[in-house]
Amino acid sequence: MGVLLSGLQKRYSDGTQAVRDLNLSIASGEFFSLLGPSGCGKTTTLRMIAGLEEPTAGRIQINERDVTGIDPGDRDVAMVFQSYALYPHMTARENLILNLQAQKVARDEIDARLSEVARLLGLEELLQKKPGQLSGGSDSGSLWAAQSFVVQRCS
Amino acid sequence: MGDVVACTAVAFWLLPVAWIALTSIKPTTEINSVQPVFWGFTPTLEHYSELFQRFEFSRIMLNSFLIVPAATLIVIVLAVFCAYALARLPVKGADQIALFILSFRFMPGMLVVLPYYLMFQGVGLLDTHLGMILVYVAFGLPFAVWLLRGFLLDIPRDLEEAALLDGLGRFEIIWKIILPLTRPGIAVATIFTFVFTWNEYLFAFALTFDRAVTLPVQLSKMIDAYSVLWGPLSAAVILQLLPMIAVVFFIQKHMVRGLALGAVK
Repeated sequence: MGVLLSGLQKRYSDGTQAVRDLNLSIASGEFFSLLGPSGCGKTTTLRMIAGLEEPTAGRIQINERDVTGIDPGDRDVAMVFQSYALYPHMTARENLILNLQAQKVARDEIDARLSEVARLLGLEELLQKKPGQLSGGSDSGSLWAAQSFVVQRCS
Repeated sequence: MGDVVACTAVAFWLLPVAWIALTSIKPTTEINSVQPVFWGFTPTLEHYSELFQRFEFSRIMLNSFLIVPAATLIVIVLAVFCAYALARLPVKGADQIALFILSFRFMPGMLVVLPYYLMFQGVGLLDTHLGMILVYVAFGLPFAVWLLRGFLLDIPRDLEEAALLDGLGRFEIIWKIILPLTRPGIAVATIFTFVFTWNEYLFAFALTFDRAVTLPVQLSKMIDAYSVLWGPLSAAVILQLLPMIAVVFFIQKHMVRGLALGAVK
């Protein structure tokens, strides 16, 4: 069982009702798209699932675990920001492993996963570069790498 | 053409400094000669040694080297956290609070020097290092907070949210993400605070008289009702100048802007 939202509500402090009573269940491994006009609450919903926004009411479950009040970092979720949100002062390598470091994964394990993903995606030469030195295409490349890392962690 | 203008400007600015440096190593007779002497004299360090023998410069410089870096360090540490709170945390009326904090700098120091004196007298902080550090923290903080807040507001919020998702805590985010990206701002704030505090005269003059006297106050003692001690005064000016040049020299390389600009496409 993947993601389960029940009675999810979000009202911002200025009174805007962004999400009203959303009930949704997404199966594990399901490819799911949220579509709608701008301002309809897609981003708010995503941010609530990620834990960046606190719901006014309702519950969020991920893999049968209630994560409603849990910190974003402890939810085991990943998110691709529109702006990519790569850390500009860190190399691609440091960008990729920050998450694993924060989760206190062992050094050997980090190195092993990193080299595997880098090899799979052909990123070896980019690892020591900083985001500003990457071209747009390679940028998304390292982003993909970051993604596959986290996906690997979930499975 | 631009080079010529630049060189003229630099020469214009440097000439008085060069003249002071020259005066500081001239024998007194040459300093007082009617014809300006640029070369051909026997350089001497007598004015410098006089500073240390007669004007207690080792003690006074130690005072400045204690008070100013301590105040600068406290200002920067407090300012980073304060600016972060005002830039990022859900603080009601953060803009107004920031402006309110800055408004302390609108106030002429002259207005508060007397109240400061009376308060310090009451609590026994007159002529103490701690007292001077407190005054300089109070005066350095508003500008540093304002400056750093501007830099922090420029850092995309996405970066911090990505870091939250990566499992970093608030303090880790400040340490690993915010601080490295704010480095240019911290460098500018450090230089401003240091130079302002290093040169500060009014409060040091009013609130110290012996134990905690700082360099600018001691400099002024070389001009009295009867004479100006040009030699020692010039030497003292050079000693006053050197630490500022050193600080700017070492910190300016961190002032590269635009590091954070690569973060968002």
